[in-house]
Amino acid sequence: MTDNNVVAIDRIAKRFADHVAVADLSLRVPRGAVYGLLGPNGAGKTTTIRMIMNITIPDEGTIELFGDRMGGRHHSARIGYLPEERGLYRKMRVRDMLVFLAEAKGVSRATGGAKADEWLRRLDLSEWGPRKVEELSKGMQQKVQFIGTMLHEPELLILDEPFSGLDPINQQVLRDIVVHLSRSGKTIIFSTHQMDVAEKICDHVCIIARGRKVLDGGLAEVKRVHGGTYVAVAFEDATAGAGAMRAVSDLVAAADDSGVFAELKLKDGVDPQTVLEQLMKTGVRIRRFERIEPSLNRIFLEKAGPEAASEAREASDA
Amino acid sequence: MRKVWAVIRREFVEKVRTKWFVISTILGPLFMISVTVLPSLLISRSGRVNHVALVDDGAGALAERLRTQLEASGRYVVNIVPAAAGRAAALEDSLTNAVRAETLDGVMSVSSATVESGKVEYRARNVSISDMGVLEGLLRQVIVTERLARAGVNAAVVQEAQRGINLQTERITKHGATGESAMVTFFLGYAVGIVLYMIILLYGINVMRSVLEEKQTRIIEVLVSSLRPFQLMLGKVIGVGGVGLFQFGIWGATGYLVVHFRTQILGAFHVSAEQIAAVTMPAISGTLLAVIAVYFVLGYLLYSSLFAVVGATVTADSEAQQAQQPVMMLLVFSLIVSFAALNDPAGQMALVTSMIPFSSPIIMPVRVATSDVPASQLALSLAISAATSVLVVWLAARVYRIGILMYGKRANLKELWRWAQQS
Repeated sequence: MTDNNVVAIDRIAKRFADHVAVADLSLRVPRGAVYGLLGPNGAGKTTTIRMIMNITIPDEGTIELFGDRMGGRHHSARIGYLPEERGLYRKMRVRDMLVFLAEAKGVSRATGGAKADEWLRRLDLSEWGPRKVEELSKGMQQKVQFIGTMLHEPELLILDEPFSGLDPINQQVLRDIVVHLSRSGKTIIFSTHQMDVAEKICDHVCIIARGRKVLDGGLAEVKRVHGGTYVAVAFEDATAGAGAMRAVSDLVAAADDSGVFAELKLKDGVDPQTVLEQLMKTGVRIRRFERIEPSLNRIFLEKAGPEAASEAREASDA
Repeated sequence: MRKVWAVIRREFVEKVRTKWFVISTILGPLFMISVTVLPSLLISRSGRVNHVALVDDGAGALAERLRTQLEASGRYVVNIVPAAAGRAAALEDSLTNAVRAETLDGVMSVSSATVESGKVEYRARNVSISDMGVLEGLLRQVIVTERLARAGVNAAVVQEAQRGINLQTERITKHGATGESAMVTFFLGYAVGIVLYMIILLYGINVMRSVLEEKQTRIIEVLVSSLRPFQLMLGKVIGVGGVGLFQFGIWGATGYLVVHFRTQILGAFHVSAEQIAAVTMPAISGTLLAVIAVYFVLGYLLYSSLFAVVGATVTADSEAQQAQQPVMMLLVFSLIVSFAALNDPAGQMALVTSMIPFSSPIIMPVRVATSDVPASQLALSLAISAATSVLVVWLAARVYRIGILMYGKRANLKELWRWAQQS
């Protein structure tokens, strides 16, 4: 049903001179979803978003927005877009800048101004309204730009790495806004390479790696389909933990070992209880032992293969 | 279009708010005032009386005659200092020291050989070209008179032959004599050329900077997802051009006021009324103003869209410096040719370059300011210029559209051409 999909992408591909950025990518974003476009840096997330926004044109395939193929610019009044590369006019005053961004979306000056004031107040930036953009800290600029994507009350928000570069407090502020917008019925697409962030706020995900889709669907469904038995273990001491991990290695199919914390995928038919018994025998002190659903990160690492895994690790380091 | 209007408005308001705009707007009229005031000031300055010592090394009647002539000019007070035989050089040296000590303005030496050789020495702290001209004229008169007298020519005949000659130049147009001198017309044409060159260049580069800023700050991504690149470029070019016209308007109004109240303004500088009246103001016709305005718009459209392309195809300021050179060359070439056109506004060179769309925005107004340009030529030039501007704007928009989203390596001409062809 096209009607329920705000975005429907069919087999798009985009090649640049020396590499394939996106290949054979199809996805559906249902109305009202919080849709996570996940993958390591260079996976093709930004290219995909740019194609949705009509900034670049796919070499192959089609993109439907709101049920037609008129393109992102045609629907720009209904879409709010936060690009990965942040940018504002440095010499402009914050409020003037916001009003201009609203006007570029076809909002009248008066409405744009009222909306800008409202949002500046909401994000505690009112006193910065008459100041020049260049006087703001990076975090504040990012918040201002975030405001700029919402002034025209779009039905669809496309946010490219919205939380990157923000301190935890501001990350939380923006996350709360995203959740709030989602509750009020907006559709939100956002890209990130931080799987843990996506896991907390997305209800739909699409994981891409090296330009190809690895998997997509509702978060619960993805986890259910993925199957397997997972446990999370936390030790008091990393060295003792390492010894304990060796003791259970023949029961474990894959491990995401971070020293004092490890996420284990057990081999088929292994009872988690057995693993706990084995660990206890080594005498290691355990802080936590829990049967869990696989994390998105786990799923991603397994599905995208070792090459993508190393890319993902680099990405999360960055 | 509300969106284009938003872009125009932003460009206009933000540019007008900059220090650059305020400073150049103030400096413009100051420049104009100094152009009107300085010539009068210079004339009154050179009206100062020079105290000159005339060393007479046995020149006899010549020295006396020179003094009479020099003093008659009203610009010199002359003291004849007779030199004892063989002491002329020493006397000159001590007088030269007096000049150095500023108790004297100059030292002139004449000797018995002067009439034969025609050689007169004049030493002064500063000898301006106009001083030299005056001195030489006076000396020639005196020496020629002396030579003629020695040859036995009747004094009355000599005096008759010396009567003043005064060349009056006046510009004639189809509507008859304008009453302006050729000098004033030349100055007007010169000013028109320079002002058009400056304003097209300044505002063209402004467009380039604005495009580059959007690219560098990456705000371009948000903009092109809301507006078509053509709308963006159009809004930008019109907005910046509007600032240009606004500034032009301020200058024009100030210029009018300065000319209108020049007696009062110059009076504040202690310039006498007759000196002010001596400076003829060029009559600027409505036709000329219209021609300047139309060619400013055409030239600005042409060059600003070229500068927009430059801004769109580079990523860094340093690259822009380099990439703008070809466009700058076109403009500089036009300015240089305009000097040639000033000398011969109806000549072959002026005719051809006033038809070439890249130079016509400067050359044609210069021609109109200094000569009678046939209406057919004006119409042809306008048609060529307008057609080219439309074509270039269209091509530029196509290149701009691709360029603004490209980062990294600077595109070469071949790539630009490919971008222009892309759908």
